[in-house]
Amino acid sequence: MSDLIANLALGFQVAANPYNLLFCMIGALVGTLVGVLPGVGSVATIAMLLPITFGLPPVGALIMLAGIYYGAQYGGSTTSVLVNIPGESSSVMTCLDGHQMAKEGRAGPALAIAAIGSFFAGCVATVLVAALGAPLTGLALLFGPAEYFSLMVLGLMFAVVLAKGSVLKAIAMVVMGLMLSMMGSDLETGAGRMTFDIPELADGIGFANVAMGVFGFAEIIRNLELPAGGRDILKTKISGLMPSRQDLIDSSGAIARGTLIGSLVGILPGGGAIIASFAAYSLEKKISKHPERFGRGAIEGVAAPESANNAAAQTAFIPLLTLGIPPNAVMALMVGAMTIHGIVPGPQVMTKQPDLFWGMIASMWLGNLALVVINLPLVGVWVSLLRVPYRLLFPSIIVFCCIGIYSINNAPFDVGIAAAFGVVGYWLAKHDFEPAPLLLGFVLGPLMEENLRRAMLIARGDATVFFTRPISGVLLSIAIILLILAALPTMRKRRDEVFVE
Amino acid sequence: MSEGVNPSPKHPGFGLSFRNGRALRGGLIVAAFGLGILLATFYVSSPTAPRAISIALILIGVAVAAGFVPVRAPQDFYGGLALVILGTVAIVASAELPGQRGFAFGPGTAPRLFAGVLIGLGVAVTIVGVVTDGPAIEKYKIRGPLLVMIAILSFGAMIRPLGLIPATFLTYLISIFGSKEMRLVESVIAAAVMTVFCVLLFVYLLNLPFQLWPRF
Repeated sequence: MSDLIANLALGFQVAANPYNLLFCMIGALVGTLVGVLPGVGSVATIAMLLPITFGLPPVGALIMLAGIYYGAQYGGSTTSVLVNIPGESSSVMTCLDGHQMAKEGRAGPALAIAAIGSFFAGCVATVLVAALGAPLTGLALLFGPAEYFSLMVLGLMFAVVLAKGSVLKAIAMVVMGLMLSMMGSDLETGAGRMTFDIPELADGIGFANVAMGVFGFAEIIRNLELPAGGRDILKTKISGLMPSRQDLIDSSGAIARGTLIGSLVGILPGGGAIIASFAAYSLEKKISKHPERFGRGAIEGVAAPESANNAAAQTAFIPLLTLGIPPNAVMALMVGAMTIHGIVPGPQVMTKQPDLFWGMIASMWLGNLALVVINLPLVGVWVSLLRVPYRLLFPSIIVFCCIGIYSINNAPFDVGIAAAFGVVGYWLAKHDFEPAPLLLGFVLGPLMEENLRRAMLIARGDATVFFTRPISGVLLSIAIILLILAALPTMRKRRDEVFVE
Repeated sequence: MSEGVNPSPKHPGFGLSFRNGRALRGGLIVAAFGLGILLATFYVSSPTAPRAISIALILIGVAVAAGFVPVRAPQDFYGGLALVILGTVAIVASAELPGQRGFAFGPGTAPRLFAGVLIGLGVAVTIVGVVTDGPAIEKYKIRGPLLVMIAILSFGAMIRPLGLIPATFLTYLISIFGSKEMRLVESVIAAAVMTVFCVLLFVYLLNLPFQLWPRF
């Protein structure tokens, strides 16, 4: 316990450095600003803003990224409430009651309770990350290549189960991502793989290019197809910003339960925030005395999923910081950012760079604080930003993305790659394929290959090692059970209800 | 398998007729990809598997175009075939890489492994597209995607020779044509504002090394 306090104190010393505080604030502000754009979720936001952290020292960059992350997440909730466009899958549940509240002119309380709930969840989850980080790092030592491989299979399986629509197609997307990630130089021999003798492809395809293309550009193209009225933003009057005393009393229980669920589920690899927000919402609906109010503007229906997804977003750092495995696409971007700064995520970060590790954990809390401080007064501003007509908004997003991609490597070729993936994303949408599993497969591909190769080499070519080693066997069994459950028709029906409801 | 979509009662992709324009077009595209891969296999040393798949693709494509295949869920059917095509291209592209030696994976092992699995899954998705009903593929639009792509690619082409300011300004102007609601004067002003904003943000605030004007 005293260790925990000492560690957190170290973290706050690092994070409370005025420059880092400034980075955190700027990050939260810009993250919210971009995240509030309709159709731009936290993945796209972080992908876009990644380049602006390149010039900073590593600690400052990561702290700023954490700020951007929370900002983007909160920005996504803002669009959910105001215009019924979830910035990402984890704020889908917020739309249900949040937008109803906005229609009743209660957008202010909805946004405020989302911020307050997120902040509370953030505080609890930060302590949890700090407390669990150290013991889980010990667990990392038990992990050999076979276990890592199995853990990644499990993570990908979660992504598959949670994608909407067909399980088969989601698996196909994961494998497509794995295959695309094989492009570029081989890790061990340096042989160029599937590079078609194009020198620019020798290093493979950058993750940010794929993310920006498949999410950012494809989304713009899709939006351009909608009739003009469909994407233009409602002009809702916001009457009163602060929730009433009754609102606070109503939502306090929901916030607490949402935080608990979110913290637990967030640790699971693969889209924990989505299950968390869904689970929290259904729980509230189930235990409520007036379940019929849900979907018609119940404040608990905003408070619970918002707390849950923020708590889950936070505890999602645990697998990343302790095992070096990104549990979702956003965390994958964080890995990318860390690697650019020469940090290899994993158990060694904690021992070798304690200031970085604990500084980042402290900055998570500061990021949440910054959010509340910045956003409560700014709700009115966000609304006016949403009034910018789409015909002016989308070229700005395009220009922003182009500059962002170019600045990563100063490579014009990367811009072309992102454009190509924009077309791919458009095609995927037409064929009802989900891009998120593709992205996760793409990120985990090189790691999976490396661990698969090592495990097979150590086991002298014996593939049964993945089942005979206990931890690995358990992980794989869970993955298989998940797959069977997801493929069962009854389960399939229920999954549909989850996303349609 | 394509749940989450309401099965449309009667959708246009179903039928055994030559006059079905969609099937004709789709089938010919599949056959063309098959032919392309078949030609490519003559340049690699171990062509048996990809060659067999490409011939199968040509046959399927022709059969679809001729209306012999009842495509009940076109999204899945063509989506699955596209995955097969992609996987086969990857196998051809990684055909020259050395494979497994002893217990050690070669550089070619994992790409071919994943490509093989992708082909298998693609076949499964294709079969789903024949045995279950699903919605038709939404129409592809030309204007929006084309202009957005032109805008992005021209940014890539302009940024080195012209510098950040002209590239940003022109990219903004080109992309604005992607929407039918564009208004010229408003757009030029917005482009100028965005350019100034980007220069301030990226160059002065974030200190990224951009060249601002054309190099003479």
